Amino acid sequence: MAGKSGRTIEATPQDVWKKRIFSWEGMLVVLFLFINIFCRCLSPNYTVTNVLREMPKYLSEIFLLLPMAYILMLGEIDISVGSTVCLAATVACMATNAGVPFVGVIFITILTGTVCGMVNGFILLKFPELPSMIVTLGTQIVFRGIAEIMLGSGGSVSVTNTAGFRALSGEIGPFPYVFFLVLICGAVFVVLSIKTTFGRSLYAIGSNSRTSFYSGIKVGKIRFLVFTLMGTFAGLAALFLTSELYGANTTTGNGFEMDAIAMAVFGGISTAGGKGKMVGGLISAFIIVCLRIGLGQINMNPQVVLIILGALLICAVLIPNISASLGLKKKKVK
Amino acid sequence: MRKKVLSVLLCAAMATGMMAGCGDSSEPASNGGTTDDANANNDASGGSDDADDASGGSDDASGGSDASGGDVSGKKFALVTKSAGNPYNEKEAEGFEDVIKSLGGECIIKHPVAATADAQVSEIQSLISQGVDSICVAANDENALQAALEDAMAAGIKVSCLDSKTNAASRMTFANQAGTTEIGQALMDAVYDIAGGEGEWAILSATSQATNQNAWIEAMKSIMESDSKYANLNLVEVAYGDDEPQKSTDQTQALLSKYPDLKVICAPTTVGIAAAAKVLQDQSSSVKLTGLGLPSEMAAYIGDDDAHSCPYMFLWNPIDVGRLGAYISAALVDGTITGAAGETFTAAGMDNSEYTIVDAGDGGTEVILGAPFKFDPSNIGDWKDVY
Repeated sequence: MAGKSGRTIEATPQDVWKKRIFSWEGMLVVLFLFINIFCRCLSPNYTVTNVLREMPKYLSEIFLLLPMAYILMLGEIDISVGSTVCLAATVACMATNAGVPFVGVIFITILTGTVCGMVNGFILLKFPELPSMIVTLGTQIVFRGIAEIMLGSGGSVSVTNTAGFRALSGEIGPFPYVFFLVLICGAVFVVLSIKTTFGRSLYAIGSNSRTSFYSGIKVGKIRFLVFTLMGTFAGLAALFLTSELYGANTTTGNGFEMDAIAMAVFGGISTAGGKGKMVGGLISAFIIVCLRIGLGQINMNPQVVLIILGALLICAVLIPNISASLGLKKKKVK
Repeated sequence: MRKKVLSVLLCAAMATGMMAGCGDSSEPASNGGTTDDANANNDASGGSDDADDASGGSDDASGGSDASGGDVSGKKFALVTKSAGNPYNEKEAEGFEDVIKSLGGECIIKHPVAATADAQVSEIQSLISQGVDSICVAANDENALQAALEDAMAAGIKVSCLDSKTNAASRMTFANQAGTTEIGQALMDAVYDIAGGEGEWAILSATSQATNQNAWIEAMKSIMESDSKYANLNLVEVAYGDDEPQKSTDQTQALLSKYPDLKVICAPTTVGIAAAAKVLQDQSSSVKLTGLGLPSEMAAYIGDDDAHSCPYMFLWNPIDVGRLGAYISAALVDGTITGAAGETFTAAGMDNSEYTIVDAGDGGTEVILGAPFKFDPSNIGDWKDVY
């Protein structure tokens, strides 16, 4: 039936719906519903109010997921974001303690993140042959190093005037502000990736950057943009993380980059680039967050939770491969 | 168009999923659900366990509840440790759990996945959702838990710390393992005892700015001056090994060559005492050692005979720290104390059963565990594998 391109032009509306439900994203929605029902059955405390109250800490990681998904679509990777968050959070605390008004703190924090992102982007722009993994490994160490120097011997800083951060972590009803912001940003990222030339360039570069380059796509510029965007969102994440922790220390943001990558990969976004959908990453992020909250509430050992998440991730990567190989076999039989 | 419809659909599905899946929003919020939860959690933890606790705990509890005047059976007590795989913390958790079970309460131990404030915040948030009655935390960061712990207190949960404290705003009180005066007194008595009441002695400390060590040294000096019993002891020098093994070794050797009549070295730092112990034992020196040390590092040097350099030393007993934390939690929950300085409560199962809350000097209050725990040849074997 399916042609080489995977399109079925003559498909009836029924087939389209079938395809949607059996697409990876469709599966994720089902899984999301299942996880929520599952957690609700396990823990009587798994209520909307409680989940939303526990969520803000995890939501700051979803900020990282959004541009990380773009980076993965490009076929690149950025492992410096955890350190960027650490540095931006440190700057946020120090700026607040230095008496900068809170609007200024917001600006400085996001600017710090953006500058970090630009550093990555600039290196990759000027030296396109360098692997992003190695460049960002370097900046990961550099950014955290700068943060550690700023933090000094104590290794931690806390905000003396928490008023601004308290306001930032406020809620409308049971919904924290950050929840709306994540949804809005998520929607923008989804639309950008599927509706704009920019989005199509992402997939094109991820599939084959050389061909894209010769087709007139400004590969370097887009890469620079996306890495800068990553930094900006790391700054945003740092801001909301600080509003939960009222401080920063040398371990702030540890491992965030891997969490963001895991969410994206679980959402069907291939690390090889050019594949996957933003919306999948977003749903999978909420699946992981809900699962963590639910299992936390039944006091499951957090190490076991990690094992479960790791196993899920491997399954997520394996299933498309297995089904692809099954599909190949079918074709051969035909 | 197709993709647009798809994405709208998925967003809608996600939103409704949040609503539907998360359960009934009309249900009472976190702290309201306590009574329902008790049943659910009993199921989860297994019936036989509960039966054991109830029968085993009844006789202990009778003693405790008489004195404290309240009843904490069926209440939920949580302990958040620094991280999993920390043997010192695990011993604290052991003590905590024992006491809570003996009082008839339900105990939840949370070991965060990493030794970060970040990981502890998740655990605390989760405990608030579960509507526990009390949270006791060994803080990884003094200030970073404030937002989460304030949420907890706002939800009516009694918050205390053990082992290492949070700032004053995020706790009701703190089970302090290391009271400055108690440590000074214990070390001073050890020096007096080992030196035989007279002679020269020296201190090998960490860095010259180390807050804890300086406080303890000051305490020792003031005890020495205040009591004529110590008049024949002569403190010749306070040396600083900067908590580096090599520098501590060098400083020990310098002390030995400078003061041939030296009788005792007191090292109130785990790095210093280990370095000094090795020097003294390797040289079969007649100088003896005491101080604060880790049993695992010091096991080879502790002994009464001349072949060993350290007759005995001190550190805190993590099990007792956990037990005190549990008694504080219980007293906070049953209303015996509110965490204000001057209040007293009873810890029925402990050596020093009457505890008083004192001012901690940081704007908050604390409860001091008591004299540090003595490690000597008779018990070092049991402790060397613990921490």
